Amino acid sequence: MTETDIETGTGTGRRPARLSARDLTLAYEDRTVVDGLDVDIPDGAVTVIVGPNACGKSTLLRALGRLLKPARGSVLLDGTELARIPTRAIARSLGLLPQSPVAPEAITVADLVSRGRQPHQRWWQQWSDADEHAVTEAMTRTDTAALAERSVDELSGGQRQRVWIAMALAQETDLLLLDEPTTYLDISHQVEVLDLCRRLNHERGRTVVAVLHDLNQAARYADHLIAMKSGRIVAQGAPSDIVTADLVRDVFGLESVVVPDPVTGSPLVVAGRPWGAGD
Amino acid sequence: MTLSLARPAGYTLVRAGRASFLVHRRATAVALALTLLLAAACLTYLCAAQSYVAPSEALKVVLGQPSPDELTVGTFRLPRMTVGLLVGAAFGVAGALIQTVSRNPLASPDIIGVTQGASALTVGALTFGVTSYAYLPYLSVAGGLLAAALVYVFAWRGGLHATRFVLIGIGFAVALRSVTNLFMTKGDYLVAQQAKVWMTGSLADRGWDEAVPVTWALLLLTPFVCWAARAQRTVSMDDDTATALGIRLGRVRLGLALLGVVLASIATGAAGPVDFVALLAPQLARRMTRTAQIPLLSSALTGAVIVVVADLLGRKLFEPTQLPVGVLTAAVGAPYLIWLIIRGRTGGKA
Repeated sequence: MTETDIETGTGTGRRPARLSARDLTLAYEDRTVVDGLDVDIPDGAVTVIVGPNACGKSTLLRALGRLLKPARGSVLLDGTELARIPTRAIARSLGLLPQSPVAPEAITVADLVSRGRQPHQRWWQQWSDADEHAVTEAMTRTDTAALAERSVDELSGGQRQRVWIAMALAQETDLLLLDEPTTYLDISHQVEVLDLCRRLNHERGRTVVAVLHDLNQAARYADHLIAMKSGRIVAQGAPSDIVTADLVRDVFGLESVVVPDPVTGSPLVVAGRPWGAGD
Repeated sequence: MTLSLARPAGYTLVRAGRASFLVHRRATAVALALTLLLAAACLTYLCAAQSYVAPSEALKVVLGQPSPDELTVGTFRLPRMTVGLLVGAAFGVAGALIQTVSRNPLASPDIIGVTQGASALTVGALTFGVTSYAYLPYLSVAGGLLAAALVYVFAWRGGLHATRFVLIGIGFAVALRSVTNLFMTKGDYLVAQQAKVWMTGSLADRGWDEAVPVTWALLLLTPFVCWAARAQRTVSMDDDTATALGIRLGRVRLGLALLGVVLASIATGAAGPVDFVALLAPQLARRMTRTAQIPLLSSALTGAVIVVVADLLGRKLFEPTQLPVGVLTAAVGAPYLIWLIIRGRTGGKA
């Protein structure tokens, strides 16, 4: 953990982050979810956004991935407003896995993963060596090569999620946004998916931004943690610096004790307070 | 071996320089088989549509060589068959496109009011004094687009739900049929009689005057159909995933739907609403190719085979009575439609 923190830093005093938002206001019809938010996503790090339900974390991620148009302000990719970049060009730098993607009926794993190559293909370039290489590697990394010929419909939840991640990987983007990639997965598959994100970052230097529900998983896997509440960023930084009982009370309204994770040493939030403490 | 795993199964890679194409093997085989079947159906049609003509003579006429059967085959059968073939192909592709966009096997242009809109405007014009047939194709395209736009507007509730879209389309189809009937009862008796035959979908008396404009219209649309064949792949994904892959799904959907509506309207203008071809052909084709998407080429070929064979049967089955082609296609299509509804997957994917 600490090694990466030093290596990647968390954005301060270096060249501007590739992905950032300025004065970002996001709304669904009349309801404003995020109001005037500024954020820089540190390059080459794993950023995790946490917060209670309806705090705007998924909304923020959707805006960073141009799935949601800002009501005001802007999202900048390499200094240019997302709205000014052709969506296909964005897709070559920024990949995104939505919360509940729907696979075309009866599609095979290899076919779905190869759809990730779409932004690199033309009607007369349907399958290049680069495509073949990227898809093979994506399937190998996600351990889905053995499933290549299977239909996506018949896979288990964990396998399916790995296939979707493989599709996003095949896109070969420097930035990868994941919206609650562990939802609906059992604990072992959750760990599997998060380990994969970590490896992608470590081995390939990819910038990963994920929205997670589980604060402890977030603290364990993030280099940079963003805690949100009611559409605002309450705290951000390395988990070991910012995850405290005060923050948990402030963000989640929960009394807790924060101890070092026995496995990784990252902060571990245990709900409740010691017997006899307080009242 | 590990390398070939990445390529989607069932596809063969064809390369030429920097260009590369993925060819679905089964779909190609099916398209070839359908082409042969269509050729056989066409030859049978030319030889046996009424009085018998030897295949060698029929082929001579097709190839432009002198033959005693020039009049029978060249002037009567060939243009009628050409119109049938093109109309069938156009309905097949139109059905495939609209079913793809709506992700619903029920949503074909003859179910959701497109061909009825085309008919209503055409019959209206016929019964109220438009005598020049040259205007009819434009009128039917306008009618089809108008009906599609109406269904779209009424089905839109901050989003487009497949089932609501289909149900509203069915409502409009019924309403537009009544409008057409109203036109016919109000109009001149003789013209109304003519319109009635047209309304069941008929290829009777189609000559080169009808065949040539349809051919041109469809030739002009061919590049768009080629675009559609590739773009169609992306529509089966959900909006978010497609956007993430850099696809402007809204535009692609609109383009595909427009193309489908225009094709169905042109076909309706040429032969009347030949019912159920647009519904049936794409689903048959897809079952044969077993592809994830509805195959456009095979849908076109299947539609063409259906119409040519149905017209031949309509002429031969109850000789000397000739049944309009639409009666035959309805006889096959209606049970299929009922089966689709009973199966109750109206909200499913195409």
